[in-house]
Amino acid sequence: MIRSTFAASAALLTLAAGAMPASAQEKTLTISVYAFAQDAYNRILYKPFEEKCGCKLVVETGNSAERLAKMEANKNAPVVDMAVMSMADALTAARRGLVQKIDTSKLDNYDKLYDLAKDPNGDGMSVGYTFYATSIAYRSDKMDIKSWQDLLSDKVVGNIAFPNISTNQGPPALYMLGLSMGTNAPDLKKPIEAVGKHAGDIVTFYNRSSQLVQLFQQGEIWAAPIGRFAWEPISKLGLPIKWAKPKEGQTGGLNVMVVSKGTKNEDLALEFMDFWLSTKVQKDLADALVDSPANKEVKVSDDVAANITYGAETAKNLKLIPAKVDLENRDRWLKEWNADVAQ
Amino acid sequence: MFQNRAEGFALALPAAIFAAVIFIVPVIILLSGGMHVNGHWTLSAYTDFFASSLDRLVLWRTLKLGILVTLVAAIIGYASAFAIVSLSPSSRGRMIGIVVLPLMISPVARTYAWLVILGRTGIVNQALMTVGLTDEPIRLLFSQTAVFVGLLQLFLPLMVISLVSALENMPNDVVPAARVLGANWLQIFFKVILPLTREGLVIGGTLVFVGSVTAYITPAILGGSKVLTLVTLLYQRVTIANDLVSASVIALILIVMSFGTNILLRKIATARNRA
Repeated sequence: MIRSTFAASAALLTLAAGAMPASAQEKTLTISVYAFAQDAYNRILYKPFEEKCGCKLVVETGNSAERLAKMEANKNAPVVDMAVMSMADALTAARRGLVQKIDTSKLDNYDKLYDLAKDPNGDGMSVGYTFYATSIAYRSDKMDIKSWQDLLSDKVVGNIAFPNISTNQGPPALYMLGLSMGTNAPDLKKPIEAVGKHAGDIVTFYNRSSQLVQLFQQGEIWAAPIGRFAWEPISKLGLPIKWAKPKEGQTGGLNVMVVSKGTKNEDLALEFMDFWLSTKVQKDLADALVDSPANKEVKVSDDVAANITYGAETAKNLKLIPAKVDLENRDRWLKEWNADVAQ
Repeated sequence: MFQNRAEGFALALPAAIFAAVIFIVPVIILLSGGMHVNGHWTLSAYTDFFASSLDRLVLWRTLKLGILVTLVAAIIGYASAFAIVSLSPSSRGRMIGIVVLPLMISPVARTYAWLVILGRTGIVNQALMTVGLTDEPIRLLFSQTAVFVGLLQLFLPLMVISLVSALENMPNDVVPAARVLGANWLQIFFKVILPLTREGLVIGGTLVFVGSVTAYITPAILGGSKVLTLVTLLYQRVTIANDLVSASVIALILIVMSFGTNILLRKIATARNRA
């Protein structure tokens, strides 16, 4: 009797082990991307690529930091073949030896990219696929924004949401605030202190730009620094909300593609990246207001152009914090923020 | 049913192995991560946590919110539980159904509702302005008050249910007996009802307190980064700073707080039992 129960337990365990997925027979490419707009990506990018290559795409989603942590954990046997991330995270990945040089000779569309996207970190380890401007969305019936400093003026500051330091928009917004106060990155102490002085007035420090839609809609906030990718739903609220063109200019960011070091699917990964950078895919993604094109051959209608970050002029004029500066100062910024703003 | 213990043990084995492999071992690995920094065993992550004024502030705020929510839930809980047990059995069932109903709605939906209710154009501010108590909307969102209200609404049903079942088990004649003997209502509550229902209070109190200090959605949505609690701080440490060491420190503190509360509340209950 005892023996049979042990046998039953053993059988159960075997069953559990047998439930693990069998290794796939066909060619698969595993990618790790941001979670937003997956329906559009599926339609415009993933499905057509699968048909073209006769392979299977496995898509993992999550934020940059999760991605980095996973890549680090699987360093010796990479699970993900190709990933997209922020410039700064791509530099971290390169420094930790998680990514490999990109053989741009295999990317037919490489020469069509804006210069800023070609090798953003200058180490040959990443290629930009989209960039975005960050400026201030504001209620034009309540205020006028001519400078980043206007955000902290007495009439305005009690009605704004400011990006938390930990978001991709946080440091760039502080950087622009600093420029308007006469300082320059990497020194964000002065703008952080200025925000800290008003921490009680500011409605909230947001962590996800998707939160802002409801806050604008409820009249909770009248202005917030946001990335262009978050503009579309806010522009459709039916409220008089404008995209500011402050005199200090606009900031923003660039998202890049990387290839995991030691991947067994390098050629397939490069083929996928090239497809993503192709004029048609970049245009379709732009028309769906998902990603602003990094491919300079993409021509979009005025309507679309007005709602994404578009054109050589814009690309050239964005005031970006270099990834190196970002990485080397992040801890310090966070400490200053925690001391001046978070408490 | 089973002929011997070995057989029962054998039957429990798969579940035990499963729990060990899937739950216990990972938890131990996770928690030991807070003491294993750069390849050395050290408590430096813990001293760092308590040395940081932000971390101390968040810990204190979390404790304070948990205690406050539990206290207020107990007060409202006793009042509602009294009202419910005084009803006829059939309406009692209906009332308990109504109390439990919110538990069946996702906490995300319930918390989002508060976002609308407490907003500048929400019903609370509109009422205040109509009555003339304020000229312009008061800011309620992204404050400790908002988090408190959200958590109280979230966990109050657990307290009410625990107290209803405790009061149902209380003999019917003890309150009239105390009154006959000349006790006032305060004396009746503290000397008769409270001792007889403290087990329900301990269960409800543990559920509410542990629920409040470990809740993520409510403080994240109603408090945001202006009202960080231990759990939202933990989330930030993991996803943003990728700092698993200090995250595991926070996780251990949360576990200690949860077990600690339960032990403390049980101690109080049994101590009174003996008295």
